[in-house]
Amino acid sequence: MTGRAVEASRKVHVTQGEHHVSDDPAVVATTVLGSCVAACLHDPVAGLGGMNHFLLPDDGGRDDAGAIRYGAYAMEVLINSLLKKGASRQRLQAKVFGGARMFDGLSDVGATNAVFIRRFLDDEGIPLVSESLGGQAARRVEFWPASGRARVRATTTAPAGRPAPPALEPAGDVELF
Amino acid sequence: MPAASAIKTLVVDDQLTMRALIRSGLQQLGFTQIEEAVDGEDALRRLIQNPVHLVLSDFNMPKLDGLSLLRALRSHGPTRQVAFIMLTGRADNDLVQRAAQFGVNNYLVKPFTVTTLKGKIEQVFGALT
Repeated sequence: MTGRAVEASRKVHVTQGEHHVSDDPAVVATTVLGSCVAACLHDPVAGLGGMNHFLLPDDGGRDDAGAIRYGAYAMEVLINSLLKKGASRQRLQAKVFGGARMFDGLSDVGATNAVFIRRFLDDEGIPLVSESLGGQAARRVEFWPASGRARVRATTTAPAGRPAPPALEPAGDVELF
Repeated sequence: MPAASAIKTLVVDDQLTMRALIRSGLQQLGFTQIEEAVDGEDALRRLIQNPVHLVLSDFNMPKLDGLSLLRALRSHGPTRQVAFIMLTGRADNDLVQRAAQFGVNNYLVKPFTVTTLKGKIEQVFGALT
């Protein structure tokens, strides 16, 4: 983009339970994830995409079907919004983030979320083109829905529930094409 | 009191995950005759050839959505009486009202539990055995 003024980007923060769909190249969807998962779907032909942010309810595994229902619904809402704006289900590609283990000693709800989203995409035939799931670090995610570009940055590398460690250097950006 | 196993059911949803969840819920309630369709068009084709007692249909689907499917069924003699339960999202209040005008029997707001599914079916068919 040499010689061109950089377009002002418009940040849209996606909190838990929300989603955002756009075909505006200036829009960047952002979110911060611990155990939650954000699925970023993109249709490269239509030039549009969207991000959601959800957490499956954790009841210690007593009602796995209930948790899956919740996740399937969160995904359906995002997919339907994309289809409504002109995306094609067959062209959708996914990048998924989150599912970290944020607390020691509790059930690993982050892992449950990660397993769910991989399984869902596989079942629905939506290619998973990149992912950053699991680990013990919270993530800050930026996603440009129009281009499908995503960037994820670890915001901490220590599990919560312990005395806060000394401030860490940012773990560095990872570009996920 | 109808036996759940006697109720032939068609589950209509474009998401495999959702169809699998509904099928599993129905099986827990004793349903054994469960067919699936991937959108309204597929459902219509199947229902004309193979009538059922109950249609559980999503609203947002490619080709033919749930409301168009309902209208088509209600305007076609052999399928006019089929029980139709629409699956909707939270934000679809307008849809519920429109579906009521076209003779929907009940609706279910996603995500729902098996208990809720049972309750909605029983409101249409009476207590299940």
